[in-house]
Amino acid sequence: MKKLQRVSPVVFKSTPLKTESRDNWEVVMEYNGEGDGPYLVDLSHRPRFDLQDSNLAAQKPFGILIPETPGDCVLENGILANRMNRTQVSLFNLDADDTVSMPDEPGYTEVTESTLCVALIGKNVFSICEKLTALDFMDQLRKAPFLFQGPFSHVPCQIVTLNKAGDKSGLILTCSRGYGRDMIDSILHAGEEFGLKPAGESRFAKWIKEL
Amino acid sequence: MALTITCPICGKRNGYEFKFGGEEKGPRPDEKDLTPEAWCDYVHMNKCVAGVQQEWWFHKDGCGSWFPIYRDTTTNLEKPEPGGQK
Repeated sequence: MKKLQRVSPVVFKSTPLKTESRDNWEVVMEYNGEGDGPYLVDLSHRPRFDLQDSNLAAQKPFGILIPETPGDCVLENGILANRMNRTQVSLFNLDADDTVSMPDEPGYTEVTESTLCVALIGKNVFSICEKLTALDFMDQLRKAPFLFQGPFSHVPCQIVTLNKAGDKSGLILTCSRGYGRDMIDSILHAGEEFGLKPAGESRFAKWIKEL
Repeated sequence: MALTITCPICGKRNGYEFKFGGEEKGPRPDEKDLTPEAWCDYVHMNKCVAGVQQEWWFHKDGCGSWFPIYRDTTTNLEKPEPGGQK
């Protein structure tokens, strides 16, 4: 019998230094020559769900109170909940030490396999984003974490800004899996002048713990 | 002139993020006693107003919402609802 293997849509050219096998994913924890930042981290293996309900106020996915206003997000216990519209919320499990599975209730859809997910963290991340999208991440009226649903490198994406503060800045971006190679290529190309390098999951785990 | 559109979910965005969905034509006509000519008129005939008209837009690169706005077709600028609060 062949071994089940889940494959990330994100491929980096860097050489992995440390990998981990987790839930049939081959997760890279560290890459060779990660540099000093900013970093691009593949999080496509992290579980992600959509929840749809006509009365979201009555739902508490993983014990989290869903934000009321579309565009608002909440990060609690390693789960990021992003209010998309009146009836939908997207849920990202960002804590590698506490992996969750999909609740056995109606309304949930697992989207882990159908989307790519990357984190862009460190200094100058918004300068890189400015080259790829017209969305205003530095809008003074928006307090992190917040969600943008809009084009990034001409691809419809969900982008969650987790922190806007200087060297600790960072965001998470998801889009359809099929855009994987082109999206990564365009982000790395835009980030070249800022020293953007692929990084392993350890780098993201450390960053999010410091938030 | 660049068109911007105010999405009820995402706020004011570049017009290129949206797809035009046609004029707002009111509710679908009652099927009882509906003639093919009247249905054809409802589906295909437009007023093509030179001025402010209500029309549907789809936020294809964003949240995926369908919503109506008012737009001045002579200036290609979004306008507030005539006599309303928008």
